Amino acid sequence: MQERIAAVRAQAEAAIRAAASPEALEEARRRFLGRAGDLSALLRGLGALPAEERAAAGKTLNDAKAALETLIGSRAAEVVVAARDAALREEALDVTLPGRRPHVGRPHVLGSLLVEVVDIFRSMGFDVAEGPEIEDEDHNFRRLNFAEDHPARDAQDCFYLDATHLLRTHTTSVDTHVMMERRPPMRVVTVGRCYRRDLIDATHMPVFHQVDGFVVDENIRFSDLKGILSEFARQLFGPETKTRLTPSYFPFTEPSAETAVRFRGRWLEMGGCGMFHPHVLEAAGIDPERYAALAFGWGVERPAMVRHRIPDLRLFWDNDVRFLRKF
Amino acid sequence: MKIPWSWLRTYVEGVDDLDPATWTERFPQLGLGVEGVEGEGADVVFDLEITANRPDWQSIVGVAREVAAAAGGALRLPAAVVPEAGIAAAARATVTIADPALCPRYAGRVIDIRRIGPSPFWMQERLEKAGVRAINNVVDVTNYVMLETGQPLHAFDLDTIPNAEIVVRAARAGEQLTTLDGTTHELPDGALIITDRTRPIAVGGVMGGAETEITAATKHVFLESAWFNGRQVRRTARSLGLRTEASARHERGGEPERVSYALDRAAALIAELAEGTAAPGIIDVYPEPEAERTVTLRLARIERVLGAAPPVEETVAVLGRLGFATRLEGDRLTALVPAHRRDVRREEDLIEEVARLWGYDRIPETMPAGRATASRVVASRAAEVVARDTLLRCGLTEVFTLSLVHPRVFDALRLPEGDPGRAAIPLRNPLTEEHTHLRTMMLPSLLEVLRINRTRGNADVSAFEIGRVYGRTGGQWTERKVIAIGAIGHFLAGRWNVPAAAAETTFYHVKGLLETLFDLLHVEVWDVSPTVLPFLHPGRAAAVSIEGRDAGWLGEVHPDVSAEYDLRGRAFAAEIDLGAAVARASVWQAYEPMPRLPAVERDLSAIVPLAVTSAALLNVVHEVAGATLEHAEPFDVYVGASIPDGAKSVAVAMRFRDPDRTLEAAEVESTLERVRDALRTRLGAQIRGA
Repeated sequence: MQERIAAVRAQAEAAIRAAASPEALEEARRRFLGRAGDLSALLRGLGALPAEERAAAGKTLNDAKAALETLIGSRAAEVVVAARDAALREEALDVTLPGRRPHVGRPHVLGSLLVEVVDIFRSMGFDVAEGPEIEDEDHNFRRLNFAEDHPARDAQDCFYLDATHLLRTHTTSVDTHVMMERRPPMRVVTVGRCYRRDLIDATHMPVFHQVDGFVVDENIRFSDLKGILSEFARQLFGPETKTRLTPSYFPFTEPSAETAVRFRGRWLEMGGCGMFHPHVLEAAGIDPERYAALAFGWGVERPAMVRHRIPDLRLFWDNDVRFLRKF
Repeated sequence: MKIPWSWLRTYVEGVDDLDPATWTERFPQLGLGVEGVEGEGADVVFDLEITANRPDWQSIVGVAREVAAAAGGALRLPAAVVPEAGIAAAARATVTIADPALCPRYAGRVIDIRRIGPSPFWMQERLEKAGVRAINNVVDVTNYVMLETGQPLHAFDLDTIPNAEIVVRAARAGEQLTTLDGTTHELPDGALIITDRTRPIAVGGVMGGAETEITAATKHVFLESAWFNGRQVRRTARSLGLRTEASARHERGGEPERVSYALDRAAALIAELAEGTAAPGIIDVYPEPEAERTVTLRLARIERVLGAAPPVEETVAVLGRLGFATRLEGDRLTALVPAHRRDVRREEDLIEEVARLWGYDRIPETMPAGRATASRVVASRAAEVVARDTLLRCGLTEVFTLSLVHPRVFDALRLPEGDPGRAAIPLRNPLTEEHTHLRTMMLPSLLEVLRINRTRGNADVSAFEIGRVYGRTGGQWTERKVIAIGAIGHFLAGRWNVPAAAAETTFYHVKGLLETLFDLLHVEVWDVSPTVLPFLHPGRAAAVSIEGRDAGWLGEVHPDVSAEYDLRGRAFAAEIDLGAAVARASVWQAYEPMPRLPAVERDLSAIVPLAVTSAALLNVVHEVAGATLEHAEPFDVYVGASIPDGAKSVAVAMRFRDPDRTLEAAEVESTLERVRDALRTRLGAQIRGA
């Protein structure tokens, strides 16, 4: 009897270990431990044994049954995990297929730069103003000390709408509005479109952007202008950037200067600046003896071209999405 | 202005080590921009950019004066000793100025010459380096002295002016002149001309006449040196389409003292090169000589304006080297302005001179010590930033388009005659045929972006621009900011296995963008309603209103318009007035507590006539269901098999909730029953599954 029990037990253990699925395991359980199973058959055969063997055989049989049940339990856990792993393996993806990308908008490189420029000046305490693009000669020229016959007023260079109205040629015209509306101290920056009668080529467009700023207070000096523009250039082009001011001429500033920035080993002209001419302050009802004003006007396209190595101004206006998505 | 260094060098003395190589850097520090450098060493030629305020720099002597001042040397003016003999000039020719406003000073000399021919090699070489062609010794001298001193000169053959009368006056209608270049001009009324009383012989300050020019046979020269009204010269040169070295100099503004010096300098050279002698004296008409001008500089003001100042001695020295005679009295410096510095009129001008010669580089960098103020942003700009940010977050690409258009775009948009969109402001002087008007709407610009990209094989574009449109209302020019959207092709980027219909941009994508935009701008009360616009698909166009006010439109671009732009596909667009959106935007969203009690969710499916809009159906649902209906939205709209013709099936998902108590199922069911009844009776709906 003991041999038969051992044989069945060995058989059952092998079948349980071999079961690879919950179904196979259940089958093995039924076959050995079920009511009609082999161990149950042996159990029923105990009564036929001599009494002295019966107790020992019964114990062996119960031990075998308990061992097999434990084995089934642990095997069941293994089988579930294995089955789940197999199912997961079947769900394998081709990870090299392209991802479903969130649809992210791309800013225009000029749009980003305009925001960046405004943010830099806001960090220096500038208010942000706007003004009309359709201007009269009074705000675009006269209040900025352009003589009646100044060549810049010429129809050769400006787009006129009627005898006295034109598309602003610089954002400095906004300064004249702000200076009329407000009283010192003022720190104001403006960005926007300007217009000049230039034929379209790699470096000219009839429409372009400027950033213009001015500060009016009792003790504003040319050295402050240098400080502000140097800081602006450092924030725009990096902390090592050098800025150089050289003498120039604009009717509305005295002294006047051209600003150049040293970037990637070259001096690049960025725009004009200076101290507002006393006539400009007087035209706004501001006493030039008491107040002084620094002012500057830079192009926006130029820094964008230089910083992003864009070779042709027309690319900004071409709006080819392959260009736009680079920035 | 081309400046041959070797020529300039002859006028600078007292400086031994003047190295031209260093002047590429030094010229800009003085305000003379270097546009180009040709040649090397002593033969270098600088091409300098001359600012409008410094006509005196349009000459070799003028630049030499600056170089001498900056280098600590002195200017040596070329000699102007005229050999004179015979009858006085005044007896051989007369000069009359009809209107001194046109010509404040006119001077002339009569020179008898014996040899006309090529000028010497040294002069031809200098002229060539400066970019002027050599002609003959007399004409070359006039050009040479113009380059040297900045004063334009003209030589007439005196024998071609029989009465020897020179009259400066404005041209009269119908007068003609054939100029040196062989062109015959109809002289514009009012043009500044030189006549011999009977006929025009030169366009003043621009070009001489062919009949009176110097020829190989010329024996007697009338040499002109004048100060013409620059504005008038510019106007005349423009209207004749002539721009010469002379007119360019007159336009910048003349200078009275230079007139007589240059005349003598040129007469001396002509006498020397053409074996001539001058008739004694200058014929000089100068009715109102200019007074000397002094400007006072308060020394303390220098530091106040610049933030730094050189020592007083240096200020005095700098101004002295520039030709200002100064007198120091206490804290004030009075400067007598030299004749060639017509730009120096007030204290600030002197401060700039001091700064320039002392060096802008020596002024420190400081930050304004003024009162700090809060940085505020004008509302229109702030709104633009928020709207731009929102559309970028929505996945649109930002574009920049020109604000100038051609009116043919209005034809492409099918705008009828008299449509307000056609009322574009024309430029009076457009430069190109393409850009003649200010745009009245953004759509053409956005469609052009779609066209360009489609042409280049970029099939999928979803773009936006926030820009200005321009118009005229009640005699006033107007500008408004507009948010414009244009989209075509697929909206999704990585779309393998996504059904085409689900990846393509549709009307509802664009509407969804507006919903998100208004959501993020916190515009709460807005609406769309079907509309008809010439450029939109008649069944897919909607007017957008905010609190009942017109705020723009959205829709599918009309197929005819798409065809005009060669789009080959359905395109979608929208324009929203930024001002209208922002005026109603609330800046602060108020906190609302999250609901604590559970919601009951139910669906409802109704078959309604096609004409019943989703909004009409939801209006009935909300109205009947009352306050416990927290949210309702369509989740399936179907037309086709199993639905009767002329009808559609609309399935609506509803969420009921009462903030204060748990809703009973029976209660929701009875509400739903009332909703179903209302849909049946009011919209003729057939309720599915009921």
